[in-house]
Amino acid sequence: MATTLKVRLVTPERILLDMDAEAVEIPGKTGYLEVLYGHAPLLTEIGAGMVRLHGAEGGEESYMIARGFAEVLPERVTILAEEAEKPEEIDVLKAQEQLQRGEELWNRAGDDPAKYTEANEVVAEANAKIEGAGKK
Amino acid sequence: MANVLDLRRRIRSVRNTRQITKAMKMVSAAKLRRAQEKAVAARPYAAMLASVLESLKRRAEIYDPETGECRSPLLLTRPEKRILLVVVSGDKGFAGAFNTNIIKAATNFIQENGQKEIDVEAIGRKGRDFYRRRYGAARYSGDGTRGGRGANIEVTGEHTGVLEKLSYERVREVAMKIVHRYEHEEIDAAYLVYNEFKSVIQQRVVVERVLPILQLGARQIAEAREPTTEERERAAEAALSAGVSLFPQEAAAAQQQLENETKNFGTAEVDYIYEQPAAEIFADVLPRYITSQLYHATLESVAAEHAARMTAMDSATNNASDMIDSLTLTMNRVRQAAITKEIIEIVSGAAAI
Repeated sequence: MATTLKVRLVTPERILLDMDAEAVEIPGKTGYLEVLYGHAPLLTEIGAGMVRLHGAEGGEESYMIARGFAEVLPERVTILAEEAEKPEEIDVLKAQEQLQRGEELWNRAGDDPAKYTEANEVVAEANAKIEGAGKK
Repeated sequence: MANVLDLRRRIRSVRNTRQITKAMKMVSAAKLRRAQEKAVAARPYAAMLASVLESLKRRAEIYDPETGECRSPLLLTRPEKRILLVVVSGDKGFAGAFNTNIIKAATNFIQENGQKEIDVEAIGRKGRDFYRRRYGAARYSGDGTRGGRGANIEVTGEHTGVLEKLSYERVREVAMKIVHRYEHEEIDAAYLVYNEFKSVIQQRVVVERVLPILQLGARQIAEAREPTTEERERAAEAALSAGVSLFPQEAAAAQQQLENETKNFGTAEVDYIYEQPAAEIFADVLPRYITSQLYHATLESVAAEHAARMTAMDSATNNASDMIDSLTLTMNRVRQAAITKEIIEIVSGAAAI
């Protein structure tokens, strides 16, 4: 079919996903965006959140991703993420620990704006993990 | 002369040693294969990252047109007064000259830059042990800041156990620390000493500069030491007997295809819509680029370590075999001498009667 997108999810350790889908939801840094076949070329940073593939061969696919960016071309989507997990593999306890650590960072950040940004990122990641856990 | 029983015991002991070195060789060969696979799997990410940077560089104005100020602190060069040296060595010994070579290269580098302040960051236990003994650790006061400098050369960080189960997360922590220190002008340059691994017979110790980034995509190798032909032959022999292919061909073909594709990633002559300002993305991607470089270095170093251990253990096994042969020969000779002596005694005893 000429109307499917090639979607690839690449992490530093390996290529996690390489398949065709009709639509992809990408958690952009400034909000979710959905990409269909023929989308204009786009490059975006990604925030912590879920990537969802619709109309893929094996049904719906979703991954929790954080820290990275995505390239969209009319017929191809490539997502580079430093972290990617399947929702059923997320360790909720670990995520909660991370959330606590993030909040601690936030409390101790003092006047340094860079530290606040860092703390916010950790918290957002942990929240996304907790939310995404177990969901399909 | 030793008696037969003693010799027999020694042979048994050497045979046990040979068994162990042989097992270690096979284990290293298996680990090497896994490390190689891991290194191959990590390549697409690194390649895509590099090509995104390449395309961004053309679109983002690295230097502010009005003030002439550089957008990312990682691109700024300063006179090198304090250098950070990351030494990637192995966690364990029994790997021939592997750790020695790394430490030698690092020490050479330190000597050449003797008048500057050098912070040593050790990844891997062997390198850490050496530099800790030699230079001592940096002192940190209670609040996490550096106290006064004790000496020109100090060990500021150590990361052992990272290599055994190499994960991107752990490497990221190290890299982020380096980036952070560079941004806060604690260090003026960062160099990496590690063992580069292309194949079993193609590896070398390199000193590479990672910060500041002078030219994207191009690697800044300050020094390199190639293995000698003999070492290469030795390694090839070991690989052959352990069943490790020297040039993984099927992997190479798949690799080629992938690389062609990844090359297009981000660099295609298209006008992208940038969700964020290009300069912003650029600044965000740079630290990742450093991390990916460090990750790459550790991956290669791990593969090289296993290859070195495999070669060393193969030599040890061969030596043990030689020793068993020569001991067996001596033992037989001694035994025969004893028999001959006894016969002479009996014969001369009989003749005397």
